[in-house]
Amino acid sequence: MKVYLEQLLQVPARDPDDARRKRLLNILLLGTLVAALLGLLAIVVDAIQNPQTEFTRETQILLGGIIAVTLGIFAIYQVNRRFSGRLAPLLFLLLLTLLFPFTDSVDQVINGRSLFLFTLPITISSLILIPQASFLFAALSSAIIIGMSLANSVFPNSSAITGFFLLALVSWLSARSLEQALHELRDVNANLDQLVTERTQALAESLERERIEAGRNQAILNSIADGVIVFDRQWNATMANPAVRSMLEIPLELIISKNFRELIEHPRLQPRSRGLLYAMMEHDTQPVGFRIEWSGKTLSVSAAQVYNSRGEDIGTVTVFRDFTREAEVERLKSTFVAIVSHELRTPLNAIMGYAEMFREAVYGPINEKQVNMADRIIKNTQRLLGLINDLLDQAQMEAGKLTIQMAPFKLAELLDNVHGLLDKSASDKGLQLTSEIQDNLPEVLNGDAARLQQILVNLVNNALKFTDKGSVHVRLFYPYEDTWGIEVMDTGHGIPESEMPFIFDTFRQVEGTTTRVHGGFGLGLSIVKQLVSLMNGEIKVRSKLEEGTRFIVTLPLVIPESTKKDWTLS
Amino acid sequence: MNTLALIIEDDEDLASIFAEALRGVGFEVEHVADGKIAQERLKNKEAPYLILLDMHLPHVSGADLLMDMKNDERFNDTIIIITTADARMGETYGEKADFVMIKPISFVQLRDLTSRLKPKDAQN
Repeated sequence: MKVYLEQLLQVPARDPDDARRKRLLNILLLGTLVAALLGLLAIVVDAIQNPQTEFTRETQILLGGIIAVTLGIFAIYQVNRRFSGRLAPLLFLLLLTLLFPFTDSVDQVINGRSLFLFTLPITISSLILIPQASFLFAALSSAIIIGMSLANSVFPNSSAITGFFLLALVSWLSARSLEQALHELRDVNANLDQLVTERTQALAESLERERIEAGRNQAILNSIADGVIVFDRQWNATMANPAVRSMLEIPLELIISKNFRELIEHPRLQPRSRGLLYAMMEHDTQPVGFRIEWSGKTLSVSAAQVYNSRGEDIGTVTVFRDFTREAEVERLKSTFVAIVSHELRTPLNAIMGYAEMFREAVYGPINEKQVNMADRIIKNTQRLLGLINDLLDQAQMEAGKLTIQMAPFKLAELLDNVHGLLDKSASDKGLQLTSEIQDNLPEVLNGDAARLQQILVNLVNNALKFTDKGSVHVRLFYPYEDTWGIEVMDTGHGIPESEMPFIFDTFRQVEGTTTRVHGGFGLGLSIVKQLVSLMNGEIKVRSKLEEGTRFIVTLPLVIPESTKKDWTLS
Repeated sequence: MNTLALIIEDDEDLASIFAEALRGVGFEVEHVADGKIAQERLKNKEAPYLILLDMHLPHVSGADLLMDMKNDERFNDTIIIITTADARMGETYGEKADFVMIKPISFVQLRDLTSRLKPKDAQN
């Protein structure tokens, strides 16, 4: 019943205001119909009670009015359903207003009880037409009253007319504020709808972005050759890529959602590697590229902590790289270096030893030519040994295996050794090899004496090689606080400006062709430069053609704790 | 008078050169080429006056022999000279020996050094 009534009253409309008005009109139509039917019922009851009496003229008018109103209601109802806009309510209100004069005696209409009927369309019009419509109906009602009064030679009821307009004013104001409130409410709703739409769209877009991002990350993870396992804060694996599966040769189920400990305890992991992985796990370190052994493979492991936007540690990403080939190459290289180091040097050492024995006439006297020959064998063997040492040093430096080991040493000993090794080469060439230590330098310093000696020997050797007459002078000096220096100055050919940028390059000598004249691989200066930078020092060169060259090495000055006090006092 | 010098060196040529240098300055020379045999020799026979010890030896390393000798009072007075091609090895074990000689070792150099080390009253 209720649903049926609702269907009857409801008129579908796009504009919610229109729908509201149409529904209100339908309720009014229904109310009017009920009133008309009640009027009809009253006439019927009266007729039954007084069957003999003829219908009075008033009753006839009333009956006609009821029939007219009922027909009008149906017509307006149809208009209300079919047409949008305010035609139906206007017709309804006009029907009511024009009907009222006929509902009672003229006296009652213009001056009596039926006057109040006119207030109905005035009030209703502002609700179902437009707020201002109340004035229209106040004017219409007044016109009817005035017209009827004048027709009956009565003075129009001015209080009633004033009342109509006052009522119109009140209706207009209240209807207007009602509409405004409704509009505002609708605006708020519309804004809210807009906001919800926008937010929903933004959310959908960000979800989409996240989905794309996740998909991209997954694609990257799936396609890279490095094995990746993502762990949460408790070291439970939350993600692993296919590369890690093929690298470790175990199913992903044995990795994902398992604790890292299970992987570390896996029998394929070499026991020695376990300690490294446990250390990484327990100390939450972020190691880069340490090696582990996994069933015959060498894997390089790197780890990085993951932080959320609030900076909280939420887990660790570990990356495994198959390093088997590289490790093998490295091993072969080390083996090669060791073999070269041992197998080449040992026989050369023997050649040199026998030549020395020959030179020293251990097995009996030898003549001058034989002495000369023995000297040449010794000298060439020494040269060969020097070249091998240079190559080995270069190989070690390239492999990053050459390290600097600090220990206290005496500066004077450094120079003594250089003299011991190179005085003869100098005098053989008719050159003077001189040296000095600046007074304010401490006697003992911390440093890698063997490598410092190598730097000095290489620089002096180089100077001797490119100097034909004059001298080579070595100076150890103290330029400024926390620094000490080595200066090797010669009176040789000098280095052309154009060659300056390349003199520290590997396998290079000035003008390229001079290699044959001066011998050597051109590794000496390159090794010096690398050693100096390993010691956090600097090397500079100043040279003038046909006047000489000066190499200046500056190094951090470190005084051993034990001798610090003496030096500061002095 | 103990003038015995023990050369522990697996390279025959070097051993022969070292031996010649040592004999030249008046040492009595004994040579062992294998780490294991050297270990037995050190354990069972008299402590030499001087030892030339190569660090790379077959079967038992020079480092192990060095440790053995450090833990044996009989070698307290023995002069130990490490001979190695590896400068780092020399630095590592240098403190446990009296001298370190980095290969290549010159005949003259070894002769001059051992000449200074030999017992004062030994015959040349």
